[in-house]
Amino acid sequence: MESAKSVMEPVAWILQMLTGLIMVVLVTVHFYVTHMISHDALEYSAVVERVSSPVFQGMYALLLLVVSFHAFNGLRAIVLDTNAGMRSRGTINVLTTLMFLVAFFYGLYLLISI
Amino acid sequence: MAEFRVRRFDGKKSYWQTFNVPAKKGMTVLEGLYYIKENLDSSLAFRASCRMGICGSCAMRINGKPRLACETQILFLGDRITVEPLDNFTVIKDLVTDFEGFFAKHKAIKPYLIREDVKYDEPRELLQTPKELNEYYIFTLCIKCGACYSVCPAAATLDGYLGPAAMTAAYRFCADSRDKGKKERYEIVSSSNGVWRCHLAMECSEVCPKNVEPAKAVQLLRRRTAFSILKSLLGW
Ligand code: SF4
Ligand code: FES
Repeated sequence: MESAKSVMEPVAWILQMLTGLIMVVLVTVHFYVTHMISHDALEYSAVVERVSSPVFQGMYALLLLVVSFHAFNGLRAIVLDTNAGMRSRGTINVLTTLMFLVAFFYGLYLLISI
Repeated sequence: MAEFRVRRFDGKKSYWQTFNVPAKKGMTVLEGLYYIKENLDSSLAFRASCRMGICGSCAMRINGKPRLACETQILFLGDRITVEPLDNFTVIKDLVTDFEGFFAKHKAIKPYLIREDVKYDEPRELLQTPKELNEYYIFTLCIKCGACYSVCPAAATLDGYLGPAAMTAAYRFCADSRDKGKKERYEIVSSSNGVWRCHLAMECSEVCPKNVEPAKAVQLLRRRTAFSILKSLLGW
């Protein structure tokens, strides 16, 4: 039976809760801005204009960070719930962390280059 | 007459067998099984000991739900009873399942008071206020029947998962003011096979015949463990 000190698991659990809470706030703001302020908020030019403002860029970068972390940490937890996943725990941890980083940096690149 | 449909297993194949049992008011499913064994088919295997809801030996799936056979009255369920072995355990024969792994997990969380100052030649009382007792009392009522483990979705997909009963026992000792072994236990339950695998399905609390609330214990343990590790990381 494994008894090694695991720092990753508790930290990942706390971050999963924190990112969940931040997502609730940011997704609400996103939803409000895109659907409730004006009918044209989803037109291409409006989206480009909004996303090029530093405040929105900052907000979307943060949303991207928390969503990518939450998604891939969630995926990690689901895979580790299985015998096969648990057997290759190290690989799963590395792979999902890499997927999180790729998703975040690729999204960031798109956000900045818009 | 009550109709007992029993799921049997002879070591190779699993099959259903039906028995008719004369059911009287107040008669339990366990008494029904004894009736079958003594009068209809002596090869029927099941486990029981105290017959009074204390030993936890007779937990089985009765009409789809894990219950203690000695505490479940036949007529309370109607005249058709289905009896199956507990899920998430390997069946040895008929209703007898293998509890070795379950008890090994229980043992792994060190289910006893840990103290450095035990002197057997100078025994002394360890005092506790009623409030301190109430912190963990409900979790001492576990009879290790395995009902919670049998319905746990995390235990179903991951063999090594410690499971609700073992973690309830871990919390019971961690919440005891006399215990000094919290750190050791936090390390054990915060392993990948421990508290993090619980998805809070809460089915364990739903089926526990002793109303122990294992789901609550796991959540409390998860919070304690996470904050204790976070504190040690931050050097507090
Ligand atoms: S917590 Fe309840 S269901 Fe689980 S083993 Fe203990 S008594 Fe049985
Ligand atoms: S026989 Fe002991 S709990 Fe049922």
